Amino acid sequence: MNIAVVVRQVPDLIEPLEIAPSGTEFDFGSASFLLNESDDHALEQALLLKEAHGGHVTVVALDFGDVDNTLYTAAAKGADRIVKIARDDAPPPPRAAAVLYAEAIKPIAPELVLVGVQAHDELDGGVAPFLAAALGMPYVGVIRGVAVGAEPGAVAAFKEFPGAVMARMNVKLPAVLGILGADQPPRYVPVSRIRGAMKTTQFEESAAAAVSSEPLTAIARLYPPAAGSRAEMLSGSETEIASRIVDILAQKGLVK
Amino acid sequence: MEYARPIMWNVPHWAEIALYVMIPIVLAAFAAGVYWRARKWFLGRSEPGVESVPRLLLAAIHPGRLARWTPAALFQSRLSPDLFALVMHWAILWGMAVLFLGTALATIDQDFTNLPFDFQLLRGKFYCLFEIALDVFGVVLILGLGMAAYRRYLVRPKRLQATRTGVSLWDGFPFLATIALVAVTGFVAEGLRIAEGFHIEARVAAAEGLDAKIRVLDEMGFREHLHVGRERQDVQVNRIADGGRVFPAAIWAPVGYGLGKAFEPLSVDAIRALHQGVWWAHGLLAFGLIACIPLTKAFHLISSPANILLHSADPPGRLAVAVESGVTNVRDLTWRQLLQVDACTWCGKCQEACPANQCGFPLSPRDVVQAVDSQLLRTPAKANGEPPSLHDSRVRPEELWACCSCRACEEICPVFVQHPRLIVDLRRHLVDQGQVDEGLQDALMNFQRYGNSFGQSPRKRPDWTKPLDFTLKDARKEEVEYLWFVGDYASYDQRVQEVTRTIARVLRHAGVDVGLLMEKEQNAGNDVRRIGEEGLFAMLREKNAKELSGARFRKLLTTDPHTYNALKNEYDEVVAPVLHYTQLLDELLRGGALRLHRKLDYVVTYHDPCYLGRFNGVYDAPRRVLGAVGTRLVEMPRHGPNSFCCGAGGGRIWMKDAPTSQERPAENRVREALALPGVQCLVVACPKDLVMFQDAVKTVGAEGRLRVADLGELVYESLGITLKSMAEVAESTA
Ligand code: SF4
Ligand code: SF4
Repeated sequence: MNIAVVVRQVPDLIEPLEIAPSGTEFDFGSASFLLNESDDHALEQALLLKEAHGGHVTVVALDFGDVDNTLYTAAAKGADRIVKIARDDAPPPPRAAAVLYAEAIKPIAPELVLVGVQAHDELDGGVAPFLAAALGMPYVGVIRGVAVGAEPGAVAAFKEFPGAVMARMNVKLPAVLGILGADQPPRYVPVSRIRGAMKTTQFEESAAAAVSSEPLTAIARLYPPAAGSRAEMLSGSETEIASRIVDILAQKGLVK
Repeated sequence: MEYARPIMWNVPHWAEIALYVMIPIVLAAFAAGVYWRARKWFLGRSEPGVESVPRLLLAAIHPGRLARWTPAALFQSRLSPDLFALVMHWAILWGMAVLFLGTALATIDQDFTNLPFDFQLLRGKFYCLFEIALDVFGVVLILGLGMAAYRRYLVRPKRLQATRTGVSLWDGFPFLATIALVAVTGFVAEGLRIAEGFHIEARVAAAEGLDAKIRVLDEMGFREHLHVGRERQDVQVNRIADGGRVFPAAIWAPVGYGLGKAFEPLSVDAIRALHQGVWWAHGLLAFGLIACIPLTKAFHLISSPANILLHSADPPGRLAVAVESGVTNVRDLTWRQLLQVDACTWCGKCQEACPANQCGFPLSPRDVVQAVDSQLLRTPAKANGEPPSLHDSRVRPEELWACCSCRACEEICPVFVQHPRLIVDLRRHLVDQGQVDEGLQDALMNFQRYGNSFGQSPRKRPDWTKPLDFTLKDARKEEVEYLWFVGDYASYDQRVQEVTRTIARVLRHAGVDVGLLMEKEQNAGNDVRRIGEEGLFAMLREKNAKELSGARFRKLLTTDPHTYNALKNEYDEVVAPVLHYTQLLDELLRGGALRLHRKLDYVVTYHDPCYLGRFNGVYDAPRRVLGAVGTRLVEMPRHGPNSFCCGAGGGRIWMKDAPTSQERPAENRVREALALPGVQCLVVACPKDLVMFQDAVKTVGAEGRLRVADLGELVYESLGITLKSMAEVAESTA
């Protein structure tokens, strides 16, 4: 199966995010970036499918942050092709970014496109559905596992609903799936393999770089959330705290 | 002329010839067997740092090295903690050795001096000595075998019991039983020979007159029995006809003599027939035994001394790396490692010492070694292709991950097997395949990204210094005497941070000029290397080495034994001396730079951290400091080189406990400390130990009964003056 995977860099929240003086964007000056977690799962899912059924995995990314590191890691894990979309500045918000990804993916003509269902920088919505729209493919999101089904030209996608209900859906290909989790957690890649990939991997430049990608959303103001004052800290001995909790629950009518 | 050892007494000529035909065949079989086994070692790769094996052998034959080899190889010095095993092993080895040498000497006596020159070495007093030596060592051998049988088949300690199919306690039985039979048939043959002597003496005594006596001797075939020249026959005939004893030295062979008396009632014919039968049995069994040595566990007679002789001269804290991506099959190991597994005697000492094994984790270092050895034995010496993988069914991942790299096994192994090295080599393959425990994967990703296992920002590394009322120098900006390489736990763990600050205060009080690498320090990689992530270790070492080369300092200092080990033994870039803070405190106290103002009257016990003690031999410095601050030290039963690991090493601190585990090693250790009468405080000298033991004190429910304290805290307490100044600091900031 010919699979394309989109991977994104997101700021590492280990350091506090700074808002630039303009007040409408982040100051990424001292931030470091890492691979978006659900994209990591999307990549793992693609590689698992390839290992089980053969195929070809192409990884598509915007050139930003520490993306090279992420892409070498993807190559070390077993990705066959790496396509990079050159950028001068930070990536645009998802709706605009999806256009770029779609442009880069079209020449690959994949049967299946996997992308993380969420990222913590999605200002105007998730990339995954926008990408499906731009590619003109069907979309299913919040997927926790993909299998090659009995039917040719389709895959089985597993989706979890609240209340511990799992659904198995037959998805006709080509399609875009928004991945929440792979069949198994992403495996560890040793540094020596990443270093090996650095020596042997060639990145391809995507023509999508030439497409203009004006943000479709304008940000009026970025600000840290105001601290709420609704929390009440209980103190005292264990018994006191316990009886306070019982009181509160009774007040709210939750216990009699 | 004096009497001499009878040669081939009662043995017909054809049998003597048959014996001579067999000797070269047996020796050739033995040599072929040794060659077949030894060739397999060289299925392995070359050993890092060793150019050629012949040259290494030449270098090993050096008086100094041989002096170190002799006690370990010939006298099994590493068995000394187990007196029973030591005595048993001496008895068997030296019993066999003396009997073998005696037989060899008898052969020389007979073939190299008697046959060509009609002269014997074994005569007179020397022969008496020979007789008693062989009899005594024969008894010693049988006793040793009895001890072995008692241990293996009656006591049956766990370390000798099989846990896997394919190996069993009874494997060694045929060999041990054959040795016993050789010894017993030797005695019986001797007794029968002596019994025949008694009959001859009686008949000679019964005959009247010299001629009649000589006639009796001739009738009994005495001359033929002697296998010596005519002249010497005459001498012996005359001596016995004169009333001399047939075997004057028999009395020097008390066992043979006693058996001779026991067999005396039998007829001469019966004695002769029996003697020939037993003589053959003795000879054939002994030959069989020699030929079989390379095919049985007794091969350790060759492989173990060879391994001890060719043992690595590197410090124990330096892990050898032959294949970065790890070991999949026996051919990925080096010849030295294959020699090691072949040298294993299956004594189980390593298993008994292993903290993982004792606490119910699924690991026996003995079984790992045996699994590799049995695969080696099944691999043809001419293997060209890939032998089967050592992983999964032979060595399971959970075994490999259970190891806390404490080196207790290697320390105790009588034949110098390096289990941790083997385990790390096998782990590297798992890491290469991405097969790592979840917790470990998080830790490794954190090391990759942030250079610490806590997943904390590198920028926060020096944050522990903030509450101090003085600033520590930045060694990248100004020259310092000591560059303090702090380590992860000491920098990031909240409980340890306070101890780290305490040590900083002590150093300041003593006027020690220290500086840090601040946020540029990364984990030194000691445990990363032992997890089996060699590439990540190399990356961390590169980064640290780069920062170190940019800093100006004279010596390196650390409180963390793991960091100490890596900097000292595995950072080739670092040429400066590396000190553990216990060593520095000891120096400061002895040199007078640190004066204590209060004697602490605590009764304490001290836990030797693996990477300080067993890996680097630092045992005395911390104990001297404990003495200097006034505490009374009560040692735990397992201390010094025999110390018991806290269970944190080798990456274990980040992994989940095995489902089979009964207790954590740290809990086991805390119970050991609690069992000591009057001990109030368990003193540690390692940041990880502090965390592990403080947790363990809680989980065993001993809170309030045992304090876990760092050595630095005790020194600080006894510095009275510092306490005062700290109070002042508190006042001034209030
Ligand atoms: S290093 Fe320690 S834990 Fe590992 S096998 Fe040896 S004794 Fe057991
Ligand atoms: S490895 Fe050493 S200690 Fe362990 S069983 Fe073998 S010989 Fe004994």
